[in-house]
Amino acid sequence: MRTGRRRRDPLGVRAFGTVLARDLRLARRQGGDAGLAVLFFILGTVLVPLGIGPEGALLSRIGAGLLWVMALLAALLSLDRLFQSDWEDGSLDLIVLSPLPLSMTVLAKVTAHWLVTGLPMTLVSPVLAVLLNIPPDQIGLVALTLLLGTPTLSLIGSVGAALTVGARRGGVLLTLLILPLYIPVLIFGAGSVDAAVAGPGAKSHLLMMTAMLLAALPLCPWAAAAALRHALD
Amino acid sequence: MTRKRRRLYMVAAGVTMLGIAAALVLNAFQDNLVFFFSPSELAAREITAGQRIRVGGLVEEGSIERQADSHTVRFTVTDTARSVRVVYSGMLPDLFREGQGVVVQGSLGPDGVFSAEEVLAKHDENYMPPEVADALQKAGHWQKGGGT
Amino acid sequence: MHRFANPSRFLRLSAAILPWSTAACVCLLVVGLYFALVASPPDYQQSETVRIMYVHVPAAWMAMGTYAFLALASATGLIWKHPLADLTAKAAAPIGASFTFIALATGALWGQPTWGTWWVWDARLTSVLILLFLYLGYMALWNAFDDETRAARAAAILALVGIVNLPIIKFSVEWWNTLHQPASVLRIGGPTIDPSMLLPLLLMAGAFLFYFVTILLLRIRLELAGRKLRTVQFNRARASLRGTT
Repeated sequence: MRTGRRRRDPLGVRAFGTVLARDLRLARRQGGDAGLAVLFFILGTVLVPLGIGPEGALLSRIGAGLLWVMALLAALLSLDRLFQSDWEDGSLDLIVLSPLPLSMTVLAKVTAHWLVTGLPMTLVSPVLAVLLNIPPDQIGLVALTLLLGTPTLSLIGSVGAALTVGARRGGVLLTLLILPLYIPVLIFGAGSVDAAVAGPGAKSHLLMMTAMLLAALPLCPWAAAAALRHALD
Repeated sequence: MTRKRRRLYMVAAGVTMLGIAAALVLNAFQDNLVFFFSPSELAAREITAGQRIRVGGLVEEGSIERQADSHTVRFTVTDTARSVRVVYSGMLPDLFREGQGVVVQGSLGPDGVFSAEEVLAKHDENYMPPEVADALQKAGHWQKGGGT
Repeated sequence: MHRFANPSRFLRLSAAILPWSTAACVCLLVVGLYFALVASPPDYQQSETVRIMYVHVPAAWMAMGTYAFLALASATGLIWKHPLADLTAKAAAPIGASFTFIALATGALWGQPTWGTWWVWDARLTSVLILLFLYLGYMALWNAFDDETRAARAAAILALVGIVNLPIIKFSVEWWNTLHQPASVLRIGGPTIDPSMLLPLLLMAGAFLFYFVTILLLRIRLELAGRKLRTVQFNRARASLRGTT
């Protein structure tokens, strides 16, 4: 980044875009982790009816919860590379030195992570919902909860990824740290479909999910940035 | 724009988001995020027969009927405004008795009778020796099972 | 060295406190158990089963209190870079995890006869289970790094992130219709528990508190001793290496 450009980018929008585009390009060129996460989401979900038998009533009852658990695990799969690969090749040190506040850099990387994992998962979820025999009028709701919930998963996950940069067995450790924090998202995400079916409606669940996203949006990048700074000390 | 000012904007945006989040949470709590429904809520909502739900309330005094030949028990769960008839067969918890809070899980039959698969006793936050409970009840200060 | 100046003062101070806190713990435990098991009346509804409360409730309080303490120590370590604060937080975690486990286990034992189930997924029980996972994650994070300072800082940030769970645990019984009953002691409008049962509860809570203080001091002393041992070993190894070359 040249100094001349920095002056014309007061809010750091362009720098944010640069980091975002870089991560998206890396995801596309390497084609690896992110695409694998979505594939895992699809295959894992398809395996369950094969395992428990194709009984429609049972599948439609557990379908939403199942999709959510799979989304959780798939999001975790690709998270340990979020900062680890940048840390290994040294580019993290350069990113920290850039004029963009570190929390904004984290937010850009999280956005990239969501665009290549959470968003595709949300987009394929209606198809999987049909396979799981979820009632047609609930399919839109399932996709909506995933749309609201998967960004929160990426945000919370970034804190875990930042904490475990350079750790021994980082991937397993990340799972242990992050899964408990994912529980509220899972409860409200999967619970909203139950609530809609049982009568009270999913409104309050959707409100809670929006609230969690809005709370995670400023707090998680901030915590992740603090963790990264300590990791590079 | 200085670094400091940009920082200020970021903090302001963050605090605003947290404020909206808090408002949404409060709004959500006014609606229903519940472990169980009360009989009144049950009556107010259109619950389809066969849908698995939980209903909570007090076991109405004098409503327990035990079938002599089996473990089947019939009783009424009430929140003093509305009530619902429940049928259950199986082990009942120690605390299950008339006037006690319970949460039953099961589904509403087409005849309006709730058939429970599980009966959980809910106890209130009052703890006292039996003599104190008797004395209080005699003095009319406190109704047995009046909590929840 | 500045680094060792404070720990040596801590070692002297803790040596002075330890006999007293041990004695207080034992005395409170003996008297508390006598009141809890013998001298207190049965409950009007649960009869003798209520005695599980005298272990369950203090354990649950301490589980939350220890986490608050751990988070406070972590913040101190993070802000003022005080190594003793990091060690304090590290030493508190396993104690808190065991309190949480005891609260969950005795809760299950209490739930089976009274509610009719070992476990329900209501907000209170779930949030306490998350607390246990947080403790375990915190301990795992400490062990995941070769560099102690790095481990301390990562663990401290995790501890501070996890603190959102504390108000959720405390108020879960008021915000949601849980199967777990609302608070009986720490509530607006005073306790709803008879004085004859409140006394043993508070005695047992005191015993748990002094148990925590005693074990915490012992664990910090152990950590300090381990650190000193490592420094000595390191210096000796270095000296012997220098001798050979």
